[in-house]
Amino acid sequence: MPGHRTKGFCASAAALVLCALLAGCGGSGESVGGGKVVLRYTWWGNPDRAERTEQAVALFEKQHPDIRVQTSFSGYDAYKQKLAVQASGGDAPDVMQLDYRQIDQYASGGVLFDLAKQKTVLRTSEIDPGLLDTGRVDGVQYAVPQGRGTETVVYDVKAWKDSGVPLPKWGWTWDDWAEAVRALKERTGKPGATDPGQSEDSFEVWLRGQGKSLYTEDGGLGFTAVDLTRWWTFTDKLRRAGAVSSAEQTTQIDGTVENTPLGRGTALSDTNWDAPASGYLAIIPSGVALAPMPSGADGTPGQYFKPSMFLGVGASTSHPKAAAQLIDFLINDDEAAKILGATRGIPVNETIRKETAPLLKDFDRTVSDYQASLEGKLKDPPQAPPSGDNALQTTFQRDYDQVSYERMSPREAAENYVTEAKAELRS
Amino acid sequence: MTTTAIPAESKRATPPAPKRRPKREREGAAWVFLSPWVLGAVVLTLLPMAVSLYLSFTDYNLFDPPRWVGLRNYTQMFTEDPRYWRSVVTTLTYVVIAVPLQLALALVVALALKSMRRGKAFYRSAFYAPSLLGASMSIALVWRAVFNDGGTVDNLLGTGGWVNKPGWALLAVALLTVWQFGAPMVIFLAGLQQIPAELYEAAAVDGAGKWRQFLSVTVPMLSPVLFFNLVLQTIQAFQVFTPAFAVSAGKGGPADSTLVYTMYLYDRGFVASHMGYASAMAWVLLLVIGIVTVVLFRTSRSWVFYASEGDR
Repeated sequence: MPGHRTKGFCASAAALVLCALLAGCGGSGESVGGGKVVLRYTWWGNPDRAERTEQAVALFEKQHPDIRVQTSFSGYDAYKQKLAVQASGGDAPDVMQLDYRQIDQYASGGVLFDLAKQKTVLRTSEIDPGLLDTGRVDGVQYAVPQGRGTETVVYDVKAWKDSGVPLPKWGWTWDDWAEAVRALKERTGKPGATDPGQSEDSFEVWLRGQGKSLYTEDGGLGFTAVDLTRWWTFTDKLRRAGAVSSAEQTTQIDGTVENTPLGRGTALSDTNWDAPASGYLAIIPSGVALAPMPSGADGTPGQYFKPSMFLGVGASTSHPKAAAQLIDFLINDDEAAKILGATRGIPVNETIRKETAPLLKDFDRTVSDYQASLEGKLKDPPQAPPSGDNALQTTFQRDYDQVSYERMSPREAAENYVTEAKAELRS
Repeated sequence: MTTTAIPAESKRATPPAPKRRPKREREGAAWVFLSPWVLGAVVLTLLPMAVSLYLSFTDYNLFDPPRWVGLRNYTQMFTEDPRYWRSVVTTLTYVVIAVPLQLALALVVALALKSMRRGKAFYRSAFYAPSLLGASMSIALVWRAVFNDGGTVDNLLGTGGWVNKPGWALLAVALLTVWQFGAPMVIFLAGLQQIPAELYEAAAVDGAGKWRQFLSVTVPMLSPVLFFNLVLQTIQAFQVFTPAFAVSAGKGGPADSTLVYTMYLYDRGFVASHMGYASAMAWVLLLVIGIVTVVLFRTSRSWVFYASEGDR
């Protein structure tokens, strides 16, 4: 018996040591580039995006035999935390995919490289100036948008048509929207929409429709507790009437389409970003369509083309030129564009966008057509949200939870939010 | 026994002290053998604690160097952050629900197991199993599914999903902890087996029924073990994180009803990047747990009975 135990112990100890050794070897082996320039390129996404990106990277390596690209990817939440730790440890990747909400924090934290220093290599002339500006912080181009998206009312086509309620169209206002969801509730018995009160994004669209903004130019709060009280009173009334999803349904929203009320079959429409809306097709076999977001009472559109993601270069990179070459390739190369398709949203290079549009298939096509229908109608996007926005997005949902569960009045919750937001933005 | 032990002690003291060098060498050897622990304690525990104490007086977002702000984190916590106080109330509620329920269940099962003649080993393992499983993320996720809309509980009781009702979600979290009663149960069982059978026999002779025996023999004799379990589980309950995190899908919802202290701490530190604020929260938690433990020890004097006290 003791002999047995010893043997088992030795075996597991040996296995552990072996694992540690292997892990160590793996790490050191990867960083040797055989005299080539080695770039680290990281992004978040799903396996499909990964496969297409790997193909594009292979092509880049073929075109640049002196550069080797070491790639890695993961889901967004894991990516965000990992990148934060790497960045704070001064070990940011050479080329990294960034979200709108990360730009300000990383730029002011000295994590990102000033891309203007490589502008001969990294061409940006084909990108819409308004969109390109979203990668600027304090006048410095820290990141280049890689794709663009916009908000949409995604709805269950069949249910909506069957009910006889007029279909949503460009130029409809929030009042039209409210009337439609009420009518849907009356005729189908189901809430007409996800309660948009929990969504900071929807609030922003509503706010912009009135000519206001979420944040001021200098990163302060762009609205008052009165504005937010009005928004939450508006959605709270609809919720009480059953015209939008109940608190129990709304609180389950977690960033995946499966857990939205529309995805769970308990509401007939949802306000979401256009690219991820493709996920609804698998859940709602009768099909979904994309409609523009409601606009302000005087027809001012609130939605805007937002960069769905960016590419940035680590400030501590030893190969800024090679990094810029990779970004230039991913954004401006025809062949790369063909491989990547709309996996990161509609391409930002305008020539490429026009060339690839006819080649897109299925829902990629739907998104492309939707964006084409909005072309020239929307206002410029706001600048990158201040650092605190990342946390405030969650705070916004939490405070609205207090409203939808009827623990606080819209006014109380709105005042709470404004206090919290001011503290968040001050630091 | 004692009479032989005392001369042995004094005998060791009488021979002349050995030369200094070997003693120093012995000490050196001790340090060599202690070094893994000392190194671990200093590098992985004491140093980070000192750093976190320093950070709690700063504004630190992981990117820019920490900026000294004095007591601001603490004043903001106590005066400007309603969500902080809600998390405190939530945590206290959780402790008050989870700890007594868990200890009661552990005691009941231990009593049942003690009187069991056959299959004791099997049932003991079976009841202990949740404690091994329960710490895993996957079980917590299953728990969320069980208590969600259309989950087992909803289907059986028709109550709807607990995890989406502010009044019920915390209970679902507490039940996940209560279910992991294995560790206190095993300790109770060991304690029960230490109680001399003569005491029960004597009580039975005096005409005490089962209930009387439980109150007058079992409870006092078991009180040191009960106290031990109470202190341990209370300390753990204050630090609850995983069940609340998983059952609320990482959000502490609905309506902050499962946003326990450590979850809010995590949120401030890793989601909002306020490491200074999070450090301050951690130190307040440490102090509160310390105070609660001291209070428990104070009250123990009036209700915990140690058999050795009888000699005095």
